[in-house]
Amino acid sequence: MEVLQSLRYSLYLIFHPFDGFWDLKHEKKGNLKTALLIVAMVSVTYILRRQLTGFILNEVKLREINIIVVILSVALPFFLWCVANWCLTTLMDGEGSFRDIIITSAYALVPLVLINLPLIVFSNVITLEEAAFYRFFDILAIVWSGILLFLGTSVVHQYSLTKTFLTCICIVIGIGLIIFIILLFFSLLQQMFSFFYTIYKEVALRL
Amino acid sequence: MRARRILAIIFIFILLCPAAAHADDPYSNYNYDFWGTPIPAPAAYVPSRIINGTSLGIGSFNKPSDIFTGPDNKLYIADSGNNRIVIINENWGLEKIIDGFDKNGVRDTFKNPQGLFVTPEGEIYIADTENSRIVHLDPDGEFIREIGPPVSDIIPADFKYYPTALAVDKANRIYIVAQGVNQGLIELDSKGEFVGYMGATKVKFNMVDYIWKLIATDEQREKMVQFVPTEYSNITIDNDGFIYVTTGTIALEDIDRAISTRSKDDRYAPVRKLNPTGTDVLRRNGYFPPVGDISFRSRGYAEAGHSQLYDVCVEDSGIYSVLDKKKGRVFTYDTDGNLLFVFGGIGNRIGNFWNPVALDIINDQFVVLDFNMAQITVFDPTDYGRLVKEAVELHLSGKYDESAASWEKVLKYNANCELAYIGIGKAYLRKDDFRNAMKYFKLGNKRDYYSKAYDLYRQEVIGDHFGLIVGGLVVLFIGSRVLKRIRIRKKAGMKAMGKVEA
Repeated sequence: MEVLQSLRYSLYLIFHPFDGFWDLKHEKKGNLKTALLIVAMVSVTYILRRQLTGFILNEVKLREINIIVVILSVALPFFLWCVANWCLTTLMDGEGSFRDIIITSAYALVPLVLINLPLIVFSNVITLEEAAFYRFFDILAIVWSGILLFLGTSVVHQYSLTKTFLTCICIVIGIGLIIFIILLFFSLLQQMFSFFYTIYKEVALRL
Repeated sequence: MRARRILAIIFIFILLCPAAAHADDPYSNYNYDFWGTPIPAPAAYVPSRIINGTSLGIGSFNKPSDIFTGPDNKLYIADSGNNRIVIINENWGLEKIIDGFDKNGVRDTFKNPQGLFVTPEGEIYIADTENSRIVHLDPDGEFIREIGPPVSDIIPADFKYYPTALAVDKANRIYIVAQGVNQGLIELDSKGEFVGYMGATKVKFNMVDYIWKLIATDEQREKMVQFVPTEYSNITIDNDGFIYVTTGTIALEDIDRAISTRSKDDRYAPVRKLNPTGTDVLRRNGYFPPVGDISFRSRGYAEAGHSQLYDVCVEDSGIYSVLDKKKGRVFTYDTDGNLLFVFGGIGNRIGNFWNPVALDIINDQFVVLDFNMAQITVFDPTDYGRLVKEAVELHLSGKYDESAASWEKVLKYNANCELAYIGIGKAYLRKDDFRNAMKYFKLGNKRDYYSKAYDLYRQEVIGDHFGLIVGGLVVLFIGSRVLKRIRIRKKAGMKAMGKVEA
């Protein structure tokens, strides 16, 4: 019930972002459960979109799908965003906790679900000439979510718009850094492993 | 006793039955699907005959470099190393050898002639490469004229003229491919005077490259790839006077990009069709541009490495084939640029090549000349190959229903043939059977035609059910109104009750 109410609140939020995000945090209108549910819904939307978009507009191999990859392509950027956001805003006097950031960011993704689900149906009844409308709504969903993400960050940390803008740029750079460090970590781990393995082999063969 | 006899008879019959026909082609047969994956396909052409100098009784060929199908199905071979032209008749027997000619009473010979062209009247033009001239002979091999190096202000004085291939159009204009010329083809008028270069690839200005060049040091600049137009390797001309040329000097990254973007651009195209003004007019409407192999995985049908297109031949219908020198394959395309089939390969068996350099078609047989093996391999069409060609040709001549019937037969041989599905779909579309058309276009992965069929199908459905759709909308509208009313009333009732309670 709580989740359902919270989901209904997201419909109000996407049209009234300033009030919406404020109440989300201070009136406790949002909760973590709903936020994670929204992320899951976005993942499901993208899976459905991949498989069910009309033949004319769908140029992927339907026979080959890796659901984990699709889910990760939604979840990974989302959590990277949240982590980078938290890392930076804690240093930059942001007022939002990690929990707040996750909830805010998740609610900002609601337009992706709301627009993409009807688009799947729409894509099945249009021809190539009408594809421009499809593309328009496709982009609209992303832009809308982008703006919400931006405003959400601004409200939850109580930043001015310029500061939010700079923070967002820093977050994107931060995401890049995190990916770089993770890759570096794994690569080093691999090298260390192979180093010790070589030592072991050397010793084992000599004894 | 009786049982034994029956058994014996059965055994004899089993022995008499030939073993199941096992076609073991010396190369893999495949075609690419919409996704660019090589899919096994039936053999379209199989090797039927080998011709070499020894089998003709004239001593082996030496570095032969060109073949040409002349009138009356005669085959002309430029036996370059032996400085002679060999003519073979339609029964694959020796017709004639031209190893010299009488020039104004003086005996003259060829020196490494690498290209030749025969007009429909049988006149022979020979690119006499190391003599730096074109020799023009009449059908009997008698000397008519010779055309020396082109003379013009735009040609440097120290230019070494080595013509290697040529074509002559109906107005007797001569188009020449010469070594080291990258401005395009050399065009001569009917008198042999230099007209100009034609068909040079447009060099496109690239902003990114330009900026890099600005920053780079002189040494780096030298190492950068030069913006050099492509050099043509071979030439042929079709019945309508369009010139087909091949080039092998396109950067592999550019070819990769053309494949991955399904480019229709002529700039990075290894085969081009030039109109008389030198503009490329080749249609590239297939799933992939005609560049030979498009998948370079090390395993499977299309082995690693890009194709190097070296020669091209055109049939009367406009179907053209290109020869891949590096991988020894022949790729046949229809006029829209759809890949029809692939055959041939590098190897030592009959039907394989070491270094194929020339390709032509004679009746419906392909002839491929191998430079190192010094022999000609003749390929005959299989039923499958014949059917595919027949279907394409019927479609080109506007007989769509007959074409669809042929495609149906093709599908019996090869259920993976996307072109067949598209062909049948088109026939259904013409018959206004949109549902079936959609089904077949989907099977053939043809989105634009599917969209057309779907558009018409949608109109049909809406037209048929117009009353129902409008009725449904009206019912929905009224229903929503009524529901709203009820809700308002309920709320009002609740409020009233609340007041009473209060």
